[in-house]
Amino acid sequence: MALRAPGFGVGTMAINGLSRRGLLSAGVVVGAIPLAPAGAETFHRPPDIPWRPDAAASPTVPKRGDDFLYFTAVEQAFVQAAVERMIPNDALGPGGVEAGVPIFIDRQLAGAFGAASDWYMQGPWAKGETTQGWQSRMTPAQLYRAAIAAIDDAVQRTSSTTFAMLPAADQIAFLKRLEAGTASLSGGIDPAGFFKVLLQNVMEGYFADPLYGGNRDMAGWKLIGFPGARYDQRAYVTTYGKAYPLPPVGILGRPGWRGTEG
Amino acid sequence: MTLQVRFRWKAALVFGAAVTALAVSGLSHGQPGAPSPVGSWPAAPPTAPVIQPPPASASAVERGRYLVTLGDCAACHTAPGGTPFAGGVPLNTPFGVIYSTNITPDTATGIGGWTPDQFRRALQEGRDDQGQNLYPAMPYPYFSHIAAADIEAMRAYLMTVPPAHAEAQANRLPFPLNLRVLIQGWNWLNFRPAPFTATSTRSAEWNRGAYIVNSLAHCGACHTPKTFLGGDQRDKPLRGGELDNWYAPNLNGSPHGGLQGWSTDDIVAYLSRGSNDHAAASGSMQAVVELSTSRMSAADLRAIAVYLKALPATPEPDADRPDPQKMRAGQAIYTDQCSACHGADGSGVAGLFPPLRGNPGVLQPSATTGLHAILAGAQAAATKAKPSQPAMPAFAWKLTDDEVAAVSTYVGNSWGNSAPAVGRDTVARLRARIAAHPIRLTKGPV
Repeated sequence: MALRAPGFGVGTMAINGLSRRGLLSAGVVVGAIPLAPAGAETFHRPPDIPWRPDAAASPTVPKRGDDFLYFTAVEQAFVQAAVERMIPNDALGPGGVEAGVPIFIDRQLAGAFGAASDWYMQGPWAKGETTQGWQSRMTPAQLYRAAIAAIDDAVQRTSSTTFAMLPAADQIAFLKRLEAGTASLSGGIDPAGFFKVLLQNVMEGYFADPLYGGNRDMAGWKLIGFPGARYDQRAYVTTYGKAYPLPPVGILGRPGWRGTEG
Repeated sequence: MTLQVRFRWKAALVFGAAVTALAVSGLSHGQPGAPSPVGSWPAAPPTAPVIQPPPASASAVERGRYLVTLGDCAACHTAPGGTPFAGGVPLNTPFGVIYSTNITPDTATGIGGWTPDQFRRALQEGRDDQGQNLYPAMPYPYFSHIAAADIEAMRAYLMTVPPAHAEAQANRLPFPLNLRVLIQGWNWLNFRPAPFTATSTRSAEWNRGAYIVNSLAHCGACHTPKTFLGGDQRDKPLRGGELDNWYAPNLNGSPHGGLQGWSTDDIVAYLSRGSNDHAAASGSMQAVVELSTSRMSAADLRAIAVYLKALPATPEPDADRPDPQKMRAGQAIYTDQCSACHGADGSGVAGLFPPLRGNPGVLQPSATTGLHAILAGAQAAATKAKPSQPAMPAFAWKLTDDEVAAVSTYVGNSWGNSAPAVGRDTVARLRARIAAHPIRLTKGPV
């Protein structure tokens, strides 16, 4: 049956051909379907609930491997050093670098996130509040490139080296000044703004599904006891006081899927 | 398994519109929450089919319409969303793609100019009005058993449907299969036309079931295993066969994979609703249920069930114990990907998701049906008694051949199930075949 909605695209409220009147008309048509005479048997196929073979809500899986797609060698050195300071390898488990966080950020910057491909990136350029989301005219990829260059420039001026070559204590001190917004960066880079983005991306890389390149061996999930991409916990809702028995699982599986682990 | 929620603007629009309709109707009554005649969901349908067959006194046209339903002519001759009976549906055969033809009464492109005898010959002898052989994708080996009076009634009905001008599309068959003269040889080997004869030692109900199953409903077209030429293996009636990258299960009384564990009520429920406590229709059976069996009378469904329940069991070899590591891997995958809907114990969710424990689909000598559902997904049939269509998404994108083989092996050998282990090569071959054959009887042309 053809769904004809006479009001479509008419009226000043039209957005993409959809108007309020059209929506109401369509509503009446859809609402009226149950009233169609039940006796009218035809050989038309029943209206299908939308579905296609082979269809799945599959994520875009970034390129695997340890070769960087976006970061230059100098940028890689900065990101590795910063990630190692933010999530160090310690008694609790692997650090951010071992967990693949730099690769995660690299893949994100090389993809849709880096290009801000689904963000509004035009003017007006009024000064926004920090609560208002992305405030830079640069895309995330552009921001990382400019901010890392500005940071290394600032370190060069004071210590004649790059951030990556600083002693760990100095790196931490510099990161703290970034976070506080007291570091002076060239090129109009907002130090606190960049730190906020970097910290956010480091956490995402440590806890996102492993298919995106970070959280290797589900290190982040094991640390906090997150079961991963599971969606049925009915059997455990009332098992009070007992450890959750299932290992974490990523969207693309876990070692147990190869029969190598319980 | 994740419930598939695909957000499309069309679906969102329809949903939004439905919500709007509910809201508007609720407002107009001034009673939010009160059931409204405009937006209300249809009352729960009766569980038993209420379809009455036309009485013997009905006109030939009325009887013919019901017989055309029994014969499921629409599954092949009506394209999804197309003009009823105008043909043009591509049929995936092991030999190539064959297009169904226009059986509306259009004189130029349909059967409007055919004489009653030409129509009878098409069904019973597999020849068109020019005397040319039809490809046996047209199930004339089964239709040859239809009673002459029924054929005449089917013709009378088809002559009343709106004529549609629709030229036959060229089949895509390789040489020499594109030469229709070869069909005469095929017929000589495979075609045994004979009128249906009642078995006097059996009940009238059994005989009615035998007639429907073996003539009009042509169940054996899928459920009887085929020779390499595509003919029936006549010594294995309804023992299960591969078709269109699905496996039509064994319908005899075998305990494993057959219908021994099904009551006649179970069979009636499956055919009228598309699912029952044991299984849900998938693959080509989805269209069979939607267009044919769900529109059959209760008496005819019961007759089919009685006939099938009387088919004797056949001996089945025990499957070997599968490799423990494969079972461990399969269990891990099942727990993570399948158990939310099909249950940790394979019991499914009644009325929504089919159980896998004891499901005939997973107990066949071939795992094709389960593998196909895992790789490409599946959707329940839409019937009057059960209009909603829970769906399973495709897993081909996330499970490797080894993983699909492991989880299929685990399902086939858990909770009392026993089925041959599945190898990665089997999965790889099916994956390639599914990708290479975008045309599926299941959902028509994509």
